Amino acid sequence: MSRTTTIAADEWRYWFRSRLAISVLFVGLVLAVGSALLTASKMSAAAHERAHLQIEAEETFYSQPDRHPHRMVHYGHYVFRTPPPLSIIDPGVDAYTGTSIFLEGHRQNSAMFADRQSSAGLAGFGALTPAFLLQTFAPLLLILMGYNVITREREARALHQLIAQGLAPLQILTGKGLALAGAAMLMLSPLLIAAVAAIIRGETAAAAALFASGYAAYLLIWCALIVLVSAIMRARSASLGALLVIWMVAALLLPPLSSTAALSIVEAPGKIETDFAILEEMKKVGDGHNAADPAFASLRANLLQQYNVDSVEELPMNFRGVVAQAAEAELTDLLNRFAEDRMQVEVSQAHVGRIFGWFSPVLGVREFSMTLAGVDLETHHRFLREAEELRFDFVQSLNKVHAEKLAYADDISRSSDPEAEKRTRMSAENWKVLNEFRFEPAPARKRIEASLAPFAKLLVWLFAALALCATVGRRVL
Amino acid sequence: MSAASPIARELRFLLHQPFALSLIMAAAFLSAFAVWSGLSESKRQDLIIERLLVADTEDRAAAIAKESDYGGAAYYAFHLTYDPPSDLAFAAMGERDVFPWKHRIRMLALEGQIYDSDAANAELAQSGQFDFAFVVSILAPLFLIVLLHDQRASERMSGRHDLLIATAGGDGQPWRARAAVRVGLFSLALLAPFFIGAVIAGVGVISVFLVCAIVLGQVLFWTLVCLWASARSITGPAIASGLLAFWILTTFVIPAVGDAVIENAIPAPEGGDIMLTQREAVNDAWDLPKEATMAPFIARHPEWTDYATIERPFEWKWYYAFQQVGDQTVEEISKQRRDAVADRDRAAGWVALLSPSALTQRGLTRLAETDVRAALEYQEAVRDFHASLRTFFYPLLFKGEDYSQTILDEAPKYDPETADG
Repeated sequence: MSRTTTIAADEWRYWFRSRLAISVLFVGLVLAVGSALLTASKMSAAAHERAHLQIEAEETFYSQPDRHPHRMVHYGHYVFRTPPPLSIIDPGVDAYTGTSIFLEGHRQNSAMFADRQSSAGLAGFGALTPAFLLQTFAPLLLILMGYNVITREREARALHQLIAQGLAPLQILTGKGLALAGAAMLMLSPLLIAAVAAIIRGETAAAAALFASGYAAYLLIWCALIVLVSAIMRARSASLGALLVIWMVAALLLPPLSSTAALSIVEAPGKIETDFAILEEMKKVGDGHNAADPAFASLRANLLQQYNVDSVEELPMNFRGVVAQAAEAELTDLLNRFAEDRMQVEVSQAHVGRIFGWFSPVLGVREFSMTLAGVDLETHHRFLREAEELRFDFVQSLNKVHAEKLAYADDISRSSDPEAEKRTRMSAENWKVLNEFRFEPAPARKRIEASLAPFAKLLVWLFAALALCATVGRRVL
Repeated sequence: MSAASPIARELRFLLHQPFALSLIMAAAFLSAFAVWSGLSESKRQDLIIERLLVADTEDRAAAIAKESDYGGAAYYAFHLTYDPPSDLAFAAMGERDVFPWKHRIRMLALEGQIYDSDAANAELAQSGQFDFAFVVSILAPLFLIVLLHDQRASERMSGRHDLLIATAGGDGQPWRARAAVRVGLFSLALLAPFFIGAVIAGVGVISVFLVCAIVLGQVLFWTLVCLWASARSITGPAIASGLLAFWILTTFVIPAVGDAVIENAIPAPEGGDIMLTQREAVNDAWDLPKEATMAPFIARHPEWTDYATIERPFEWKWYYAFQQVGDQTVEEISKQRRDAVADRDRAAGWVALLSPSALTQRGLTRLAETDVRAALEYQEAVRDFHASLRTFFYPLLFKGEDYSQTILDEAPKYDPETADG
């Protein structure tokens, strides 16, 4: 056994003797296991249920009776955001965003029914998830176990003896750090098991391994900081006080400060406010239900000229359907422009918040974890975009049926002529134009690439903490 | 020895304690920052409402001007409903970033509109907000633990413990005065910024008093816990560890576990189910015989029995009747969901008795009317307003009154004051 590991083993022996450290570790483990079980069962139930609702929504759509295709445009469809495998460790923004969207013609609805809106509201400070626990509380538990790793030896006048026995200060620091790292890895173990569960659910091994390494690096940062502070401080109480202050600032103060700062630096107009701006612009597009709207005059003129006919009745297609298509396309362009702006603002806000990750490893690991797990703001935005793509696609396909399969003469007389009305009912076969929707996590490669930036923050913290241990820490011993 | 002198002595002593002094100053700074950001957020929300009211009035007038019948006017006229931040909201923003506090609704089926949420940035909502309630409920106990845990233990360590007891005279307890000075100054550090904020926001005296009571209650509780713990004859760090464990248990573990338990114990219907059912009902109406809509409508509104025959393929009164019938089909499940949310909130109130931090948070958000109950009350007010729109338009639609825009000026307007009841 090398001298370093002897020191580490001695520290563990001390922890076993003093009930305090071992009970702290025990509490940490119980919480970690409990939160892992709770979150895993909750999120896998949610994944299962949403996947099921998605299939149900599709079947309901396909099984609609024969009717006018535009009725199906308004009948609409639902999409659900199924959570990714790693959400059993970090559900990220899942509870804070709506998880389903109603898709219909001429509108982009928002995602509705965020879980938080029906929760008991007690967990405002943090939910019992492995991610929150490891990010916020594992460091505190490590502090309670290790604030005195060096100061204790110093107060007991044992430090000089150790050095006199020929131990290099760096060996002492490494040994103590190793002992703490062992405790950290124990706290991490439920996450490792959950990561394996995530692999079984379809996560790639590379992403899961990086995920676990990110958390390991994060906890090592704290181990190094604890050893460092314990080495610098002369008294146990001072060491504990200083570490507590560091933890409070990093874990409790900076996260809400970062969001307050982001909200006040980047102003985001609310949805209703944006809606007014959209309404203003929409007036220019024209109402797709009204083929006589002057907005479609040039469309009409062009078509008449192209087919060399005098009236829309003579066109080989249903002019109303053509108008519906044109109006939907133009309206969607407009809505997408506003939607992209809004998402851009949200991303800029998030970026401001994420800058604080350089000042708090807690925020660094949070960003890393959400990005890699695929539960971040950008993933929610991707869900919104994919839903919109699906919406536009099925609405336009229905409009195409309207334009090509449904006679104009029947269409205009359907309110007065029951026979014509019957002919405007298209066969339910046509509802097959709706594509299946399965919300998948982004490819692991992409998520890994995106998580490298926050991972870099963690590595910088880790190297800085280790370098300080090796320089300042060694000197003060 | 006069009564004031131990206090004066401890005040002087504190001046030589840079760590304690800087902690108290940090608390003052954090409280001030929280109050400031709360005030600016309140102001921002007020301004948004102000802007929306202007735009809303203009848009409605323009929409109505284009219409030539009541059905069309009711279809195109949106109405802004909103829940302005209370005077005290700056101190506890509560659930306002989770629940919607503004809607634009019209006379279509309400269940299709009321769940629209103008949600804030999800990633930022997750980080929580830095308001006065956060400082008092989450941070204050930690400050007190750091300030108070090792008063005796440190004196014991430095060997002055017995000497201090012997010299401090009759009532004997120098740390009582020391704790009083620290806790008093700390409370002042928390409350002074709040008082300034309350004056700026024009908060009533009673509310200020109640907030003070809650804050002092929280401070007193943790002071007593800390003093009790620090009287143990173990080392300061051991005392601090125990106190921190107690803080983790009451501030995080109990609320988080309580939340999970309550969610499982009180099931709530999925919101998606309400939407889906309501949507089916509204859409199916187009294909059903008119009586299928009018019969359940008349059952609810017998006063329109004589006007309920629909002769043409499309009539506005039939259109609005099936919108209402759509709402009727989900009435029960929608009520169940709201009841479940209210029940969960009530259950949370009981769990909060085990967690001083949750209790503080709930107390402050209740006073500020930013809690779940306030959000549900606002939703109820929107429902009432929507009902009043129906009451206003039904006679015009069913009796086939001649269209007159001046009558539309009489349409109900949302008033958050009456909504507060």
